[in-house]
Amino acid sequence: MNARRVAAVFRRIVAQFRRDPRSLALLFIAPLAIIALLGWVLSSQQSLTAHVAVVDETGVPAGAAVATRLEAALDVQPGIVLDRSVGNDSTARQMLKDKKLDLVVVLPSNFSLQNRTIELLTLGLNPAGEASVIPAVQQALLTAIADTAGAALPTIERATVYGSPNATQLDSLAPVVVGFFAYFFVFILTGISFLRERIGGTLERLLATPVSRAEIVLGYSLGFGFFATLQVALVLAFVLGRLEMPALGPIPSFAIGLGVRTVGNPLIAYLLVLVLGLGAVSLGIFLSTFARTELQILQFIPIVIVPQGLLGGFFWPIEQLPALLQPVARILPVTYAIDGLRQVMIAGADLSSPQVLLDLGVLVGIAAVFMALAAATIRREVA
Amino acid sequence: MSNSVPPAAVVPTATSRPATAALAVEAVALRKDFGPIHAVDGVDMALPPGRIYGLLGPNGSGKTTLIRLLTGLASATSGKARVLGVEMPSRENLARIGYMTQSDGIYPELSVWENLTFFAALYGQTDKNDMLKSLELVELDERTGTPAMQLSGGMRRRLSMACALAHHPAVIFLDEPTVGVDPALRVQFWDHFHRLAADGATLVVSSHVMDEADRCDELLFIRDGHVLAQGAPDDLRARAGTDNLETAFLRFATEVVASASAGSEDARTAGSKETDR
Repeated sequence: MNARRVAAVFRRIVAQFRRDPRSLALLFIAPLAIIALLGWVLSSQQSLTAHVAVVDETGVPAGAAVATRLEAALDVQPGIVLDRSVGNDSTARQMLKDKKLDLVVVLPSNFSLQNRTIELLTLGLNPAGEASVIPAVQQALLTAIADTAGAALPTIERATVYGSPNATQLDSLAPVVVGFFAYFFVFILTGISFLRERIGGTLERLLATPVSRAEIVLGYSLGFGFFATLQVALVLAFVLGRLEMPALGPIPSFAIGLGVRTVGNPLIAYLLVLVLGLGAVSLGIFLSTFARTELQILQFIPIVIVPQGLLGGFFWPIEQLPALLQPVARILPVTYAIDGLRQVMIAGADLSSPQVLLDLGVLVGIAAVFMALAAATIRREVA
Repeated sequence: MSNSVPPAAVVPTATSRPATAALAVEAVALRKDFGPIHAVDGVDMALPPGRIYGLLGPNGSGKTTLIRLLTGLASATSGKARVLGVEMPSRENLARIGYMTQSDGIYPELSVWENLTFFAALYGQTDKNDMLKSLELVELDERTGTPAMQLSGGMRRRLSMACALAHHPAVIFLDEPTVGVDPALRVQFWDHFHRLAADGATLVVSSHVMDEADRCDELLFIRDGHVLAQGAPDDLRARAGTDNLETAFLRFATEVVASASAGSEDARTAGSKETDR
């Protein structure tokens, strides 16, 4: 290992990127744009109100009494807007189709004290979104029943060990997004850079010098590690920071940055992302062996990147995955980065936490395996 | 120039026989198979230093593969390759070898100076003044800041050569160095090669253009992975009974097919001993 040769490879990669504004934009501007969009979408979802109506199909006074009590309970339930104008089931269905109602509580014609089934009717186009109204309706039902029995319901207050019960989806996604982008962009850029070495004839020239394969991999890792460092610093600053801009003339006031609440040490978060990124550098070098054009590098995205996004804990916890997929998720580097980042940024864990140390250790191990694979495939026999 | 090269004794020489230590480039029954194709088919060569050797043969005759074997970039199926007495592949020995590939092999985004200093640094050459001199030799010293992608084809070729020679190698392999180079520049290239040889360097230049052959001290006719004949251009012409090198090449080629070349007979039996199955 010769430090001067490693430094030469490192300097070359930095110089090449400085001359390539499009790649720089991909590395620094694209993640910010995507995260800003994600943050905007997620944070504007909070103020959703459901339009609910109660329809009484029983035609008997007992049914009407139940409906009235339900309406009274729903009317005071937060997040629900009650529509009292709906007369019967078919009007309700039409109003659901016209998006004037989100949910209809139907007391069916056979409703009685013996048959106490009521129906919750929704449109059915967006099952998950429609279901999110149901807890509020159930709460109203409980209140109505309690009122009838003359009892008072306890008030429920949520509390969490880590973070705050008011944490939004954005708060839990933010740490994940930081790691995933570093992985994705570093993989793509290294893969394409190294492919260009292979097809441009410069790799042949490199291998005709005394530089060793390990020195090339290390130089590449340092070079892309440098850019990953800048990217992660920028993305973390954007995710964690928040700069309120006052209104200026016709431009309304707006905020730069997401201002996500975290408790952890950003340096440990950065360390996790850096080790993940180093693995991505070597994976890019390794997979460039199997590509002959830049398009073929992009073909690795559905194979290498998308499964990591789906299985790595980005959207669903590993424990919720089908039993067969759980072992697969446990060999993906992104899984460990996401877990580590959540531990650090939400639970405030530091390097004394065995969980964080395990995540970091596994990531180091995976990076080492990828580095060995990358070094082994650099000297490919060109047939 | 050769005094800037580490003495041969520094490099491990356990694998080299004393008798061959004086040779710059040596191949013993060198063979490379790609599946059923014998790209290099039992080549023997022993090239003393300080001369320009021309590897002459049509496209696909095995010249590039032979150079890749001699520089250790490809691993031989059987046989041995030695450069300056050291068996290849040897990463340390590459510091004394220069290799100008057929493609330019330079980084288009990097400037002339960045390309040169990058390759020089990998070879351990850090003398800035000396590097500037290598750029003067190829007349690119006024273009140090120009990105390589903005250079003309001939300039890129010159930069590629400067990158291969910046560390003053004792043995230089040049794979088709004058392809796509205009006639005036071609003359400059060859003048430069002769100066390097006069300073003690050994040059192995591959070409498929016969009119360049006369500029070499010695020629090796290559076809189908074999060395058909070796000798000075005049000598080869005389042996073939013609004053045209192209005709000489064709006569040697047909002769080899007919009599299986007496000269390389030993080589081919030695080579096949290890690969016969």
